[in-house]
Amino acid sequence: MPPDNVAPQQPAKAVRLIFEYEGETVRLISQQAVEMVIPDSDTAVSSQAAHFVDMRDAANKTLARVMVRGAFATSAEVFPERSGDPITRVDIAVPKGAFTTVVPVADNADHITLVKVAPGAEAVAGPEGLRRAPLVTTDMASFPLSGRGQPADGGVR
Amino acid sequence: MSTSDGSVLGNTQIFGSAPRSRAFNVVMLAEGFTSTQQNDFNNACSAFVTAFTATPPYDRLKPAINIFRVNVTSTDSGADDPASAGGTGASVRTYFDSTFGTSGIRRLLTCNNTTALQVAAAQIPEFTVVIVVVNSTIYGGSGGSVGTYSLAGGATEIAIHEMGHTAYGLADEYPYWAGGNETGHDHHPAGEPTEPNVTTNTNRATLKWNWAVAATTAIPTMSNPDCTTVDNRPSPVPTGTVGLFEGAHYYHCGGYRPEFDCKMRNLGVPFCHVCRQVIWNRISPLATLPARNRTPINVVARFPEHLDVFAVASNGRTMSDWWDASSGWAGWFQVSGGIASPGGTGSPVTAIARYAGHLDLFTVGTDNRVYSAWWDQATGWSGWFTIGTLVCRSGSTVNVVSRYTDHLDIFTTASDGKVMSTWWDARSGWGSWFQISGGVAAAGATVTAIARYPFHLDVFTIGTDNRAYSCWWDERSGWSSWFAVGNQSCRPDSTVSVVARFADQLDLFTTAPDGKIMSTWWNARSGWGSWFQVSGGVASPGSPVTAIARYSNHLDLFVIGTDNRVYSTWWHDTTGWASWFNVSGGVGKPGGQVAAISRITEHIDLFTVGSDGLVYSTWWDASGGWAGWFQLGVT
Repeated sequence: MPPDNVAPQQPAKAVRLIFEYEGETVRLISQQAVEMVIPDSDTAVSSQAAHFVDMRDAANKTLARVMVRGAFATSAEVFPERSGDPITRVDIAVPKGAFTTVVPVADNADHITLVKVAPGAEAVAGPEGLRRAPLVTTDMASFPLSGRGQPADGGVR
Repeated sequence: MSTSDGSVLGNTQIFGSAPRSRAFNVVMLAEGFTSTQQNDFNNACSAFVTAFTATPPYDRLKPAINIFRVNVTSTDSGADDPASAGGTGASVRTYFDSTFGTSGIRRLLTCNNTTALQVAAAQIPEFTVVIVVVNSTIYGGSGGSVGTYSLAGGATEIAIHEMGHTAYGLADEYPYWAGGNETGHDHHPAGEPTEPNVTTNTNRATLKWNWAVAATTAIPTMSNPDCTTVDNRPSPVPTGTVGLFEGAHYYHCGGYRPEFDCKMRNLGVPFCHVCRQVIWNRISPLATLPARNRTPINVVARFPEHLDVFAVASNGRTMSDWWDASSGWAGWFQVSGGIASPGGTGSPVTAIARYAGHLDLFTVGTDNRVYSAWWDQATGWSGWFTIGTLVCRSGSTVNVVSRYTDHLDIFTTASDGKVMSTWWDARSGWGSWFQISGGVAAAGATVTAIARYPFHLDVFTIGTDNRAYSCWWDERSGWSSWFAVGNQSCRPDSTVSVVARFADQLDLFTTAPDGKIMSTWWNARSGWGSWFQVSGGVASPGSPVTAIARYSNHLDLFVIGTDNRVYSTWWHDTTGWASWFNVSGGVGKPGGQVAAISRITEHIDLFTVGSDGLVYSTWWDASGGWAGWFQLGVT
C-alpha cells in the first residue's frame, strides 16, 4: 500500500529495437511498437560501464535509458560436456551479432542513441573506499525514431 | 543456409497465463527440425519447461512467467558441424543457420542472432528472452542476446545460465578464464564490478550483499592461499552459507562470489541466494495485480491456515491468488478464462466454501448473465457456466449464501432492477430465477443476504426510494414482504453490509447520501434499533462498509475514507465504538472497497486496491498489531 504513490510497473508505450553490430559498427534493423512493462532493473541504471540505448528528444536530452545486455562481448562461454568440468571462455577477434532492447517512448521522443560508457584512465578511490575508474561516455550512433534501418549519421563511430 | 531453408509455422503458448505485457516471456525457437520433426521440438520444449520451472527461484515465480514455442521448419536436420573444429564436416540447410565449432571450438554452438530476434519479435513482440533449440545430440550451446542449446543431455542448463547474463546482468562466478591454468588471471583488476553477484570489496559494512550475510559468518569466508591457481579446496562452511568466497569473475584472487557454488559458477547446481534475489527482484513485481479500481475483492478461508482471494483485473479477467501458511502466496492466475462485466463498479467474483475442499464462484459476465465455476480439490477448476438466462444490470454483484453444505442461495439484480434469486441443491440442481416479493433495487444497489439458521434467510438492499429494505425467507412460511428498515436515506448505490454476531442478532452498515457511515441493529428480543452514525465516520463516495465479527461481542469495520485512506474502527460491548483510525498508512481508490476476513479470532487479513491500482494486503494480529501493506503477488 503506497501511502503516497510509488510509480507502479505498468505496461507503457515502448519500442522494441533490434540492432546488428560488427566491431563498433552498428545498424538499427527494426523498430516495433510494443506496450509492455519495462522493469526498473533495466531502466533505473546507475553509472556503470556498459552499453545503453537512449531515447532522446529533438534537443538531444535523454528521456529514457535502457541497458544493453548480451552484446559487444569480446569473448564467449564454452560449456563443459561433463559435469564438474569448468566452464571456460574463448576470445572473439571481432564482436559480431545482434541485440534487442525495449525503450519507453515519450510523446516528445525524437531519436535513439546508442551510448557506450567505459572506464577511462586509472582507477581512483571511490566514496566507499573502493577503487573506481572514471567513466567516459561516448555516443556511438543515432537513429531517427520512426525510421527503419538507416542511421541518422551513418551509425558508425 | 538462411531463411529460405525453411518457414515459420507459428507460435504456441506452452506455459503460463500472465498477460504478455506484464510477464517474463520466454520464446523458444526450433532450429534444424524438419517438418516431420516438429514433435521432437515440442517435446524438447516441454522438457525445458519442466526443468526451468523447477529451478529456484523460477519455481515460485511461475505466475509471472509465460513460455512460448515457435515452430520453425528447416530443410535439413541438425546444424553445421565443421571438420576444422573437430566436427563431422556436416553442412546443412537450416532456418537460423546454426553451427557448431564457432571460433574453432566444437561445443560453441551459435546461430544467426538477427534472424532469431526478428522471428521472436514478429511472433511475440513482448518477449523477454529468446532461446534457440538446435536439433542435434552433439553437446553445445552459447549465450549472448540469444541463448542456444542442443538436445544433448544437460544442455538446458546452458540456457538457464545464459539467461542469468541476458535478463539480469549476472556475472560469471567461476574463478578462471580457461579452466585455471591460464596466465594473467591471478588477481582481479582494481575497481568494483557492476554486476550484483561479484565484488572486489571485502568490507562487511559496504559489501553489496551484506543483507544476506549472517553476523557470525567470517568475511572473507574463504581466501585463496595461492593466487597462481584456482582454489580447489572444499567449502569451509555449510552449503548455502552466504559470505565472501575468493575466486570469481575469471580471476583466482581479488574477486569474490557470495556462495561457494552457484549456477553462475557451475552448471547443474542451484543459483546462489544473491542471484536468486536478483532474479526475484526482476520478475516478482510482474506478479502483482492491477485491478479494477472499485470492484470488490472477495476472500474465503477454507480452513484457518489458508486463504483464497478473488479479484478482477483492470482488463476484467477473473483472478485469484491463494495463501497457505506452509508456502505463502502462490501468485495471481486467471480463473478458467473468465471476464467480468465492467459496468458500475464492475462485477466482483464472489466465492463461498461449502466445505474445505471446495469453492463455488459467481460473477456477471460481459454478456451480463450470471456465471459460476467451482474448484474441487479432487478435480481442480471447472469452466464457467451460465446460471439460467437471467440478464443482470451491467456490473452487478452476485451474492451467495450456503445455509448448509449441500445448498446455495444466490442473489442479484436484473437489468430492470428486480431483486432476483435462485438456488442450487445437491439433490435437485439449479432452480429457476425468481423475483423476491416484487422487490426492485435502486440503480447500483447490491443485494446482500445472511443465513442465521439453516432454515432462515435475511435479505437487504436499497430500494428505489433510496431507503434500506429487508425481507426474509423461512422454511415454514416462505418469503415475507419487503419492509423499510427505519427511515434512513441511503446512497442509492450503497451496500447494506450485515453481520450476525450470534444467531439472534443482526448488525447493519451502510452509507447515507452524504457519505455518513450509518448502522442499526436487530435483536430477536428487542426488534430493530435506530440508525446512528458510527463514530462520526464518512466514507469516500460509493465506498461500502465492510464488517466482521471476531466474537459475539465485538465488531471490526473497514472503509475507504473521504481522503481515500483505509480506515477502521471497532465496537466492543464493554467499551462501545472506538474512533476511526488509518490502517498502516494505507491509501485506497476513491469509492473502493476493503475486504476483510478473520480466519482465526485474534487475526484479521485485509485486501484492497491501492492508490496505484494494485491489490494490497495487510494483517492485524493481537500479538503484533497492524503490519505494513504489501503488494499481493507471490512470496
